Amino acid sequence: MVMRMLALLAPIDFVAQLLLKFFGLDTVNYVVWPLIQIGLVVTIVAAWVAYGTYLERKISAFMQARLGPMRVGPWGLLQPIADAVKLLTKEDFVPEMADRWVFFLAPYIAVAAAFIVFSVIPFAPDWGVITDINIGLLFVLAVSSVGVLALILAGWSSNSKYALLGALRSSAQMVSYEVAMGLSLIGALMFARTLSLSGVVNAQGADSIWYVVYQPVGFLIFLVSGIAENNRAPFDLPEAESELVAGFHTEYSGFRWSLFFLAEYAAMLVVSAVAVSVYLGGWYFPFVYGFTEAKGYHNLYVIVSLLFFVMKLIGVLYLYFWLRWTLPRFRYDQLMDIGWKWLIPSALVNIALSAFGIFLVQALDGWRDFKTIESISGGLNLTGKGKVLMIIFGLLGLFITGALLARINWRSRDFNLKSQRRNIQLVNLPQGRPAVAATAPAASEG
Amino acid sequence: MPLVKVPKPKFINKLKRFFLADLLKGLALTFKYNIGAATDKDSVAGKGIYTEQYPKVRPDVAPRFHGAPRLNMDPETHDTLCIACNLCAIACPEDCIDVIAMDVEIIVAGKPRKKKVLDEFIFDTSRCMFCALCQEACPTYCLELTQDFELATYSRAGFVWNREMLEQGRETVKYTS
Repeated sequence: MVMRMLALLAPIDFVAQLLLKFFGLDTVNYVVWPLIQIGLVVTIVAAWVAYGTYLERKISAFMQARLGPMRVGPWGLLQPIADAVKLLTKEDFVPEMADRWVFFLAPYIAVAAAFIVFSVIPFAPDWGVITDINIGLLFVLAVSSVGVLALILAGWSSNSKYALLGALRSSAQMVSYEVAMGLSLIGALMFARTLSLSGVVNAQGADSIWYVVYQPVGFLIFLVSGIAENNRAPFDLPEAESELVAGFHTEYSGFRWSLFFLAEYAAMLVVSAVAVSVYLGGWYFPFVYGFTEAKGYHNLYVIVSLLFFVMKLIGVLYLYFWLRWTLPRFRYDQLMDIGWKWLIPSALVNIALSAFGIFLVQALDGWRDFKTIESISGGLNLTGKGKVLMIIFGLLGLFITGALLARINWRSRDFNLKSQRRNIQLVNLPQGRPAVAATAPAASEG
Repeated sequence: MPLVKVPKPKFINKLKRFFLADLLKGLALTFKYNIGAATDKDSVAGKGIYTEQYPKVRPDVAPRFHGAPRLNMDPETHDTLCIACNLCAIACPEDCIDVIAMDVEIIVAGKPRKKKVLDEFIFDTSRCMFCALCQEACPTYCLELTQDFELATYSRAGFVWNREMLEQGRETVKYTS
């Protein structure tokens, strides 16, 4: 796989020859090129973190009819660099009585947990994947939960009430959203029949469809719980500014604080990348294969696929920013409500409905020459009729899930406080007489 | 016994909630602003950028805005227009104007006469509330509140403007970038 990449990238062909003079073929394939890929990914993610902040500031400014950073460089383009210099030259402060070792370790755990996940994400076909392990999705879920552990450690070791409260909140949030996130992916995995992320993308390519149309419920649940998992607004309770100063990183400053920042934005990228890979087809886009790979331009195929992946990623990340600057923060009980009462049950319903849908499509196959399934080996491959059936079933699932959950949760309180207040009417008030004060008014006159 | 009675939502309310109508409305609003700002539509209509890039671009103040005071001069002779009548000092509700006049000997039609001319004009901008009553009172259109608004100084004494500052304008650093 990697050797093909060497052969087709003509300008770096001599680099490959040079590498082969020093190392064996296996060393080049399994050590040197992965290292180069890792270096590239780490660099690009760091650059994204820097310019992600810039992007977020600009987008938030535009949504509020402001301009955003404008003074450092043209259109404020050098602002991230100025920020980085500021952060790196700040004092590295450790509070008194802090648990020093844990305090030092926590940011590194956060960054490591966020960055390790990139190793299994398929950015593009062929050499666009660092490593393709067959339990990719499980690995992603497991490692990204370790990131939450870092927040808890940071909050605990800071010896500060605000940080501790933020950590408590983040742990509660993790418990309620991790489950829904894992369950929501199962529906899509039923179609892909593999846990490997590359495998999921390949299955979508083979079926030439994005799983979001089969699994609208799953996609919505994954998106919501992903945002909650990243502690982004409207679920940013662990760092709620108005309540907890800065939440778990109240006591962090300078370089260590910037590591938390790095971890947050990298984790955003991870969740978006998983959402894109599983639900939005990853690097797969219609017609790309036919115009590039089929005509022999292998590297062009990889690069165009990469571009499509990045475009989808930008779309999902824009959704992150968009939601952040639209919705206010949830109350804590509302957060728990959404997690336990809505997301987890709907994820379970989604699993049941998807299983039923797949069963139905398989049962209908061959009934009165009604062909729905092409093949079932590498992911579920449906014919046109089967696809239409499945899409209708997915849309129906949206309504069925919604209706079922509304039925289950009919007793839970209305989230819309404004409508609550409008609708409250006082009953059993004595009519016709003004209210009389409990104490006698004459006492105050004397 | 329930204290409050919450009426059952109507079907249309339920439908709106089911399709997340409020959420979509909010998203549409922010998106409208985002597109409007990115393409910089008319900010007065509520879709563009309101921010003024102040030191780079001078803001337009309102036509009735009153700012730094100025003593106008005759454009040809460069003599002051002030006749030291003290009307502005009388009109000032804050008592921040001091007109100091002096007598000069002049010969009018062969006879020596005394004429009252302006010697010094003290204007305390720290106490001024920019009501422009002095400007209204001035019979010769000499004292005028201009539209200049950069009045900050480093000391209290800097707020007290003398005649030279009022006539020539105060020296300020103009930031351009």
